[in-house]
Formats: sequence, structure tokens, C-alpha cells
Amino acid sequence: MAETMNLRRSWMVLPAHKPEEAMRYQEYKPDVAVLDLEYSVPPKDKEITRKNLERLVRDIGKSQTEVFVRIDRDTRWADVRAAMYRGIKGIVFPGPEEPGEVAELGEFITAMEKERGVDPEITELVLMLESAKGFWNAALLTGASPRVTALGVGRIDLTMKLGPVPQGEFRLYRFLMTRALVAARMLGKQPLGAFFRPGSRGGVASKEDTLKAAREARLMGFTGCFCAKPEQVAPVNEGFTSL
Amino acid sequence: MPKYIRRSLFALSIEDSRSGEKAYHSWADAIILDFVKKAGQDWQEDIKSRMPASINQAAKGGAEVFIRINSEAAAAELVATVFPGIAGVVLKGVNGGEDIKKVSACLDVLEESRGIARGSLEIDVEVNTAAGVWNSVEIARASPRFGTFTANERELYRNLGMFPEPVLEFEPLEYIKSQLITVATSVGGQAQGFSYPLSLTEKDAGEDEIKKVVRRARDTGFKGAVCPHVSWIKACNEGFRPSPDEVAYYRKVREVFSEGLKRGLASVPIDGKMIDIPVDLRAKLYLEWADRAAARDEEKAKAHEKPAS
Repeated sequence: MAETMNLRRSWMVLPAHKPEEAMRYQEYKPDVAVLDLEYSVPPKDKEITRKNLERLVRDIGKSQTEVFVRIDRDTRWADVRAAMYRGIKGIVFPGPEEPGEVAELGEFITAMEKERGVDPEITELVLMLESAKGFWNAALLTGASPRVTALGVGRIDLTMKLGPVPQGEFRLYRFLMTRALVAARMLGKQPLGAFFRPGSRGGVASKEDTLKAAREARLMGFTGCFCAKPEQVAPVNEGFTSL
Repeated sequence: MPKYIRRSLFALSIEDSRSGEKAYHSWADAIILDFVKKAGQDWQEDIKSRMPASINQAAKGGAEVFIRINSEAAAAELVATVFPGIAGVVLKGVNGGEDIKKVSACLDVLEESRGIARGSLEIDVEVNTAAGVWNSVEIARASPRFGTFTANERELYRNLGMFPEPVLEFEPLEYIKSQLITVATSVGGQAQGFSYPLSLTEKDAGEDEIKKVVRRARDTGFKGAVCPHVSWIKACNEGFRPSPDEVAYYRKVREVFSEGLKRGLASVPIDGKMIDIPVDLRAKLYLEWADRAAARDEEKAKAHEKPAS
């Protein structure tokens, strides 16, 4: 893992229910392609998306880009089952709160690797912290499975769970990001996150704001982050490379 | 109220033949002694043979003396360095409570064998790893010997993969420092450190700038700092305590509030501000703190009545 860690700057979120759109990732050259089964996919399309996921995983898996699947916490078992095909590099698990959840998911991945002929023990787990409990348990969660290779800060759910963040106020996120950074560094995992500001985050962040957010995160010790839209890939790659 | 009046700490190497003289003239509240394990000889015997004299010299200006120890080699280094005259050890590279327990057990034995009062040696922790930050509660609670946390910022930056230049608009270690201050205080200890960006650059920025940094650090909750330059010591000694203006104000608070109480009032005005019980309590604490700092200065002045060597 160590040799590839620094090459995973941009984690581009792709709509798994729109295969053609997802395959356009090649135009943007992210370091990591993240097929999303969580918020990108409308509930009515989830089942069919899972059925079609194998093809996408295999196709992207054959390319130079590493492919991960972001699962939905509530439907994680079905989502992991749908994702585990040759070519998969790892699973992004949003919102873990208890070490047992991570350990159990790791064991389920082991079973799926065996069932599907995926090379054993290589499928990684990336944990996205999205709740107060998750942040408090960050080190325990990270240590719960040897598959965990990265620890990130998930913003949307975090904002919902910890209450609205006043405009211009950034202090709570800095606290939480510091906590995630310390846990990740202590355990030798990749810290994922960017210093987006209120009003210019995720899907609405401009290229300039994304570059600034990535640069500040790099200065703080983070080495990559998720890109909610394709245009963010280039500034994220730049921000996590040069100052 | 700080547990220790330890406003300025200054590190010196016993390899420096003028370390005793430098310690004496520094006026630091505490001296941290470093040593080098020389290759090609029995380093333990070498250091053992020189350490008692170095401790004695370092203490001549009235400073408390500490020895800086590396956690991973603590047992062997403690045997070579712990002698009467030290106040404790500064432990570096601590990852968890177990590290503290092991050092504490070694100190139990060395106190006994070297005629040092049982349980008197303090363990201070220089935090320089992510694990040291994450496990700070466990570390601070691991032994009643625990005294202070100091954030070793440069090494922390390196360990956390941070860019080691002061280019961010905000204090990057704000929450780590807050944690160390809170945790140390929660067990009756205290924390030492400066505020950003001088805490990182350690530039000799001039007296006015250093005074501001010390004031910010004091108001954050730090009770002292390890000074990178001897020229910072005066600012630390004067800054990590209530200022003369604060002392004058709080004396007035106590006086006016006491008169108010006699008249049956629970709050009284001073210069347009309402003074009540919490303000009077703060005044009492600040004045005690100022008195203890003044007493510490007198102790050092007395020590300086004798020559350095």
C-alpha cells in the first residue's frame, strides 16, 4: 500500500446507475474511480444498478485507474455483494460507528473474495467518518480490520448529524479533520479530506475553491480527497501535488 | 492556577562545556539536559561519569533540572542519567500509557538505589507523534508522576505529514494544543507551548513579537514554554504569569468586593464592570499565581547571589 498511497489524490465519484456517464471518468484522469451506490443513485434505480455493477467494475478494473465502490451504509451487504468482482480495488464504507461493523464487513469481503475468485486479502476498505460517534471511535474503527487503508471525512452526513454550520464558521470541521488526520497518521493510513469552506463545498465548489481546499488540506497533512464533480479532479490533483 | 511555576524551559547539552554557565545566566525556570551516546565506548558509563556534575552545574542558577530521555531506550538511558538534583525526566517518543508505566517503574528502582525521595521524580511528556496525541488521556493518567505535556511542533508536523512552513492563515495544531492543555490540566498537570506561527518557525523575532506570542500562549492555557533561544526566556518569565496591570486590577477587585460583601452586596461595580463572586475568585487565583511567580523569581535571585562556578 505505501508505494501507491501518494498517487491517490483524486477520488472521483461516478454515478454507478449511469454506466456511460461513469465511463467518462477517463476524460478527467482521476487517480481513483469511485462507483457510487450511495447518494448518486436514486432509490428506484438501486436494484438494477447493483445488477449492472459487475460490468463496470470489470471494465474500469482493466484500466490503469483503480476502482472502488462506495456502498450505502443501510444496504451495505447487498452493495458489497454487487461490487465484489475481479477488478475491484476496494470498498468505501461511509458512516461506520462501531468497530464491529468494520470487522464484520471485512469478514464479509473475505467470503466474497473466495466466492467470486477475487485475489484474497487484497480488497481494501476506506472508512468515511460521518458522525460524532464515528469520529470519536476513529482509531478503533481503523484498527478493526487489516483491510482499512484510508480514513476520510464525510461532509454531508456530518453536517446533518452535528447540526447546521453557520456561514463563515469552519472551526468544527477543523477539529474533526484534525482528529481524523491524527488517527490516520497514527495507524499509517491515508488521510482523506479537503478544507472546503461553507457555501462552496462538494458539488457546488468552484475549481478555484477546490484547488484552495486541496492545497490547504495538503499543508495540513491530508493526501487526497473525493471529487463530487468531474471538474474538481484537475484542481484536486494539482492541490495535492504542488503548493 | 498552574501546578508548577515553570514559565521558561531551556535545553542544553551536557556535551557543551559551557552548559553550566549558560544555564546560570539564562534565568530559565527549568533546564532540560540532553546527552549524546558516543559510539565506540560504553555510553552508559561515560554519561554516568559526567551527569552528576552537569546536573549540579545546571541547577546553580536556581533552575529545576530535567533530563530528556527517549522512550524506546528509556530503561538504559534512565540508569545513565537519573541522579540526585533532578526534578524529573522529559520523555520523548511516547506512544501510550505503557511507556509511562515502564519509566515510572524504572524511576521507583532508581529513586531507591540513588537516595532520591520516593515518588518525587516527575515524568514530563514531549509529544511528537500522532499516537502521543491520540493517547494523551491514557498517557497522562498512567502515573501520578505525570507532570506536563509539551508539544514538539516541528516533529509533530513531520509525523502528521504537515507542511512545515507557516503558510496557513489559521493555527494548524489548534485542536491538538487544546487537547494537550485540557488533558494535562484534567489530571492536575499543565501544558507548555507557544502560539503559531513563532511556535513553528522559532525565529528570533524580537522582543515585542515574542511578548505577543507568549501572551497568546498564556491566554490559550499554556503555563510556560520550551525556549528555542535564550533571548525568549525573559519574555516567558514575565509573560507566563499575571501582568503588573492585572495584579493591580485584581488587588482592587478583591478590596472593593470585600467592602461590598461587608455591606451585604453580592456584586459591586468597578470602572463600569460588575464584580461578583466568580470575578473575585479569579482575582484570588491570579494574585496567588503572581505571588508564586514572584517567589520563584526571588529563589532564582538568591541562587544568583552565588557565582556560577
